[in-house]
Amino acid sequence: MPHTEPTRIGLIGAGGIAHQHLPAWLALGAEVIVYSHAGAAELVAEFGGTAVDSRDELLARCDVVDIVTPTPSHAEIALAALAAGRPVVCEKPLARTSAAAEQVIEAFEAAALPLYPGHVVRFFGEYAAMHAAVAAGAIGDIAVQRFTRTGSAPAAPWFHDDAWSGGLVLDQCLHDLDFARWNAGEVATAYALESAAGGVRSVQIVLTHVGGALSLVHGTWARPGTTFRTSFDIAGTGGVLTHDSADHAALRTDLGDLPVAVDTVAGGAGRGLLPAMPYESPFRAELREFLVGLRGGPPPRVTARDGLAAIWIAEAAQRSLDSGRAEPVLTGVVR
Amino acid sequence: MRIGLLSFAHTHAASYAGLLTALPGVEVVATDPDHRRRPGETGGAALAASLGVEYVEDYDALFDTSPDGVIVCAENAEHRPLTELAAARGVHVLCEKPIATTLADAHAMTAACASAGVQLMIAHPVRFAPGFTALRETVAGGALGEIVSVAGTNNGRLPRGERAWFVDPTAAGGGALTDHLVHVLDLLDALWPGSRVRSVYAVANRLLHADAAVETGGLAAFRLELDQGPPDTVGTGRSVPVTIDGSWSRPDGYATWGGLTLRLIGTGGISDLDPFALRVGGHLSSTANAAWIPYGPNLDELLLRSFLEVVAGRAPAAPDGSAGTRGLAVVLAAYASVRSGQPEPVG
Repeated sequence: MPHTEPTRIGLIGAGGIAHQHLPAWLALGAEVIVYSHAGAAELVAEFGGTAVDSRDELLARCDVVDIVTPTPSHAEIALAALAAGRPVVCEKPLARTSAAAEQVIEAFEAAALPLYPGHVVRFFGEYAAMHAAVAAGAIGDIAVQRFTRTGSAPAAPWFHDDAWSGGLVLDQCLHDLDFARWNAGEVATAYALESAAGGVRSVQIVLTHVGGALSLVHGTWARPGTTFRTSFDIAGTGGVLTHDSADHAALRTDLGDLPVAVDTVAGGAGRGLLPAMPYESPFRAELREFLVGLRGGPPPRVTARDGLAAIWIAEAAQRSLDSGRAEPVLTGVVR
Repeated sequence: MRIGLLSFAHTHAASYAGLLTALPGVEVVATDPDHRRRPGETGGAALAASLGVEYVEDYDALFDTSPDGVIVCAENAEHRPLTELAAARGVHVLCEKPIATTLADAHAMTAACASAGVQLMIAHPVRFAPGFTALRETVAGGALGEIVSVAGTNNGRLPRGERAWFVDPTAAGGGALTDHLVHVLDLLDALWPGSRVRSVYAVANRLLHADAAVETGGLAAFRLELDQGPPDTVGTGRSVPVTIDGSWSRPDGYATWGGLTLRLIGTGGISDLDPFALRVGGHLSSTANAAWIPYGPNLDELLLRSFLEVVAGRAPAAPDGSAGTRGLAVVLAAYASVRSGQPEPVG
C-alpha cells in the first residue's frame, strides 16, 4: 500500500489487548474498524473507531487485520484474513499449537503477505535497551539469565483452561521464553515445574541453549490486585544487566489513606494484567514498527518464525510438566 | 570463653577472628598448620598476628589450650578430620558450609559429634538476618496463605581472588552449585522444618571464567515437600516448586561480593527477601564503581553470637549437622542431574 494512503486496520476482538491496540492504532493515525463477538460497541465508544457487524464486512473494508482474540482462534482468523488478501498482525501466541502456527506461516510465506506476531515485550523500553546492549556485546557472551513476570491472574476464564488456551506457559511465559531465545539463541531443552492453589499459579522453566547459556523463566498469575512486576538479570562474560520494575518508577504517587482507584493515577501501579507504562506505550511502539514493515519499510524486530520458535519452547516446557523430565525443543528449521 | 579457629583456608576465618575478639569475654586462639598448601596466599602465624589473635603451631596444640568451641574454616574436603578431632576432644563445632563434600563424610561428622555429646553447627549466617526472621514470622502468621512457588538466588563473584581452593574440584567439592545452593537450601530448611527434597534437576556451565576447573553457572529446580509423609512414600503432603540460581555470575569488578534473594509466592501474597538490601548506594570516584555500603547487623556476628549460646549450653545448634547433611544431599543430586541431564533422586 502507498505510504500516503491511510491504513485501515481491522481489529478482531475487543478484550484486554484490544484496549491497548485500538488507542495505539488511532494514535498512529490509522483508521480502525472493530469486529468482535462481544464488546466492540463499548470499545469504540471508549476509544474511537468504528464497529462492524460481521467479520466479512471487516475483511472487506480493511487493509490490515489485527487479531486480538483468545489464543485458539488465532490461526483460523489469520487464514481467513489471508484468503481475503490481508496482511496480519496477530497477538502472541501466533497459534495454539506449533503445528497450527507452521501452517499459518507457510500459507503467508507462499502468498508473500506480512504476518507479524505481537511479542510486545521486545518493545518495552527496559527490555529493548537491555537487548540492544546485549546485541552490541556490552556483556560479552550470555552465561546465565533470569526472567520473572508476575501479575494478577486474568479474569477471563479461557486463560485458565490449559487444554484450550495453553494456560500460563503459552500465554504469559511465552514472552520471556521468546526473549531468552532472542538474547541467548536457540534453545535445546526445557524443564518445568508448576504449582497452583487458590487461583494463584506459578511456573518455573529452566532452559539450556544450544550455545551453552542457561535461562530461568518464572511466570506467575498472582492474587487479584497484585502489582504487575517483571525483572531480569542477564549475566555474561563481560558484565551483568539487571532490571526490576519495582525499583524503577518514573513517578511515585502516595495518596495516603485517600481511597482513590489506582487507575486514576497517571503512571499508576499497574495492578491488572499489564504493567505500568510510564513512557510511550510499548504497544504503540510495536504497532508503529509493524506499520513501517507493512508499508514496505524495514522488517520488524520480531518475525512470525520467531513466534513459532517461542511456541516450540513453550511446548517443550508443557511436555516437561507432563513427563517430569527435561524435554528437547522439537523444531523444524528456523528460516 | 575460648574459641579456636581451625585453619585460615576459608576467608571467613579472618572475619570471625575480628568479630570474636571484639566480643567481651571471648578469647580467640588460631592455628593454620596447612597454610603451606596455599603458596602465595595469606595464612599461618603472620595472618594471626595481623588479626591480633593468639597462634599455636598445630591442631593438637590448639586443643591443648582447652577451647570451649572451635570453628572449622578448612577447605570443604578437610572438614571431616578436624570435626572428628574436635569431637574426640569434647569440643563444640561451628563448621563452614558446606558441611562436607561427600555424604559419607557428613554422616561421619554428625555421628562423631553425636556420640561425643558435642554440638555441630553449620555456618549459614543468612538465617540470622532480621529480614529472614521477619519472613519466617510472615510465613508462620499465614499472611502468604498457601505457598505456590519459591525462587532463590545466590549469585556472587568468582571467589578465587584470595583463595584458589574455591575453584579446586577436589578441595571444594565443586563450584558455584557447591558454594551457593546450600545457603538457600538452609533458608528453606529453616522456614519449613521437616520438609524434604526427593529429586533435583540441575544444569551448569562454565561460560563465565572458562579457565576455572569447576562450574561457574548453575541452576537447580526441585519440588520441596513441605509436610513430610512417611518414609518411602511418594506424593504425600503438599509440595512447592523451587528454583535456585547459584551462579557465580557477578563480574570481577562488581561493587560487592554478590547477594542472596528469596521470593515466596502464595495464595495470600508475595514476599521478596533481600537481606543485603540494607546498603547505602551511590557512586564513588575513588573506585570508579557503584557505592555499596552495607548497614544493619553483621550477619557473621549474629551467627557467632548464636554459636556462643550453643557453646554455653543455652541453645541447640541451628542449623545443625543434620540440616547441613540434607543440604549437601541436594547438592550432590544436583551434580548427578548435571551429568545425566534429567532429574536425579536425592540420596
